[in-house]
Amino acid sequence: MLSKIGRAAIDGFDEFLYAMGFFARVLRESFLLLRRGQVGRRVLVNQILFTGIDALAIAAAMALAIGAAINLIGSSLLAEFGQGKLMYTILIIVITRELGPLLTAFVVIARSGTAIATELGGMAVGHEIEAYVAVGVNPISYIAAPRFLGVVISMTVLDVYFNVFGLIGSFVVVQLVHPIAFNEYFRNLFAVLTPGDLLSGVGKSLVFGVIISVVSLYRGFAVERSVTEVPVAGIKAVGSGFMLCILADVVMTSVQYLG
Amino acid sequence: MGVAPELELRGVTCLRGGYLALKDASLSLAEGETLFAMGGAGSGKSVLLKTAAGIGIPNSGDVLYRGKSLGRMSSREEAAFRRASGFVFQDAALWANQSLFDNLALPARLHEPSWGPADVDRAVRRAADLVGYAQDLHARPAELSAGERKLVGLARALVLDPELLFMDDPSASLDEAAAERVYDIIAALKARGRTVLIASALSELASRCADCVAVLIDGSLCAVGTYDEAVTWVDPRVRAVTGRLKARTATPAWAGGLAGAWAEAIADDSFFLESAEPPTGEGPGFEAAARLSDIINDVEGADVATDGEKKDSS
Repeated sequence: MLSKIGRAAIDGFDEFLYAMGFFARVLRESFLLLRRGQVGRRVLVNQILFTGIDALAIAAAMALAIGAAINLIGSSLLAEFGQGKLMYTILIIVITRELGPLLTAFVVIARSGTAIATELGGMAVGHEIEAYVAVGVNPISYIAAPRFLGVVISMTVLDVYFNVFGLIGSFVVVQLVHPIAFNEYFRNLFAVLTPGDLLSGVGKSLVFGVIISVVSLYRGFAVERSVTEVPVAGIKAVGSGFMLCILADVVMTSVQYLG
Repeated sequence: MGVAPELELRGVTCLRGGYLALKDASLSLAEGETLFAMGGAGSGKSVLLKTAAGIGIPNSGDVLYRGKSLGRMSSREEAAFRRASGFVFQDAALWANQSLFDNLALPARLHEPSWGPADVDRAVRRAADLVGYAQDLHARPAELSAGERKLVGLARALVLDPELLFMDDPSASLDEAAAERVYDIIAALKARGRTVLIASALSELASRCADCVAVLIDGSLCAVGTYDEAVTWVDPRVRAVTGRLKARTATPAWAGGLAGAWAEAIADDSFFLESAEPPTGEGPGFEAAARLSDIINDVEGADVATDGEKKDSS
């Protein structure tokens, strides 16, 4: 029993070290891709289109709904305590700092994380990755780096969109419940919005983007020989992505509020 | 000090999925030699080939290309090795999200950045002609049969006219005519002094082309030697693999097996000079196309010779 636990711990630690080495290589090749910008440029553009642009509609719909819900709940609840003005602070904290990056990450995991893991898994089973190596293409620079950059850039862009649509959604609901002038609403909002809020949201998006892309790539590359491993890779990419993003969110939020 | 072999494996051991796929394998391949790695299914032929080609990384041991370890090559040296080598996968391994043309063009675009689109186009079309693939090159691999994909995979490996070729079961999925063409291509490459490492269980193909034979059983290299030695091996386990190899007569089996008349023609240097299409333009693409033209002429010369022989005999 003890030996099994020990073996599992050693295997887990080995996998962690391997994943860190993989991450370091992806990071290095991504910098080189940014500097050279030739090999993999088309893959990068396609990744941004798929992850960042194609997901705009679903991210916008979610943001509008979340912004509206926060306003509906908050305005009725806070009014009971005579703290109606806190609505703007709560909107900023929930949408910009917390839910924006996290929900955007969930959208990206569900769409792009699974797509990357299963696509790479399919390529591995079909020996396409070996074929790239055989002709002299580095799979990390050609396959992994553009997808990594594409997801990180798209996550940040999507988070900005989520913020914009979330706050607009809230404004729309305000008009239905307590009509208020456009200028006044946004003046109140910007009065409580600090650079720290924006940096926190963007910082989380970047970290989540890194986590999602590296986990998905790692799971995809881990597929070895069977097509049945491909959906498993997709499932693992989603599970690990969710867990690591939530964990990272807890750590970053703790640092912000307790540090 | 002797000349280093073109390719050498020194005590290579490979673990794949928790089992020993290759155990302490050592062999060397001189320039211009054709080595057949023979063995049953799951004997480690593909692992041997991929490790020798630097696609798989050995757990221990070393693979050397012209005396230089693949694992210690600089990126420039590795690029030169990739430029000089080609790999034919057992299942073609074409990139599904690219057209056939892009599949064939990638090695050229990667290793010959000075080539213009016309040069790349010419080299791609000559490689497709060489393997006898005459269909639309803008199709996707999924639209092709397994045999057609195999031919395109071979064309991809040949597009830069490599000096070292790795072929994993080259006749798998092919019909008889296409397999014959592949045999002819191997013979033509051999005649041009290319070094070829083939993994195959087919005795007929080995009888035609092999200079050396290596027998793999359960990941172990049980026997390595020249073709003539392989014919005389008596170990029952080895004979179970090599038992159908035929002793060669005076005519080299790899040439005689193609066609008697062509074997004579290819032995005559003038054959190449007469049949080779002169390049019709300037530039690196024309040079590559011209080299491939030579091979096509060899192959088509073999077909003509075979037909002629059949007519004569009838």
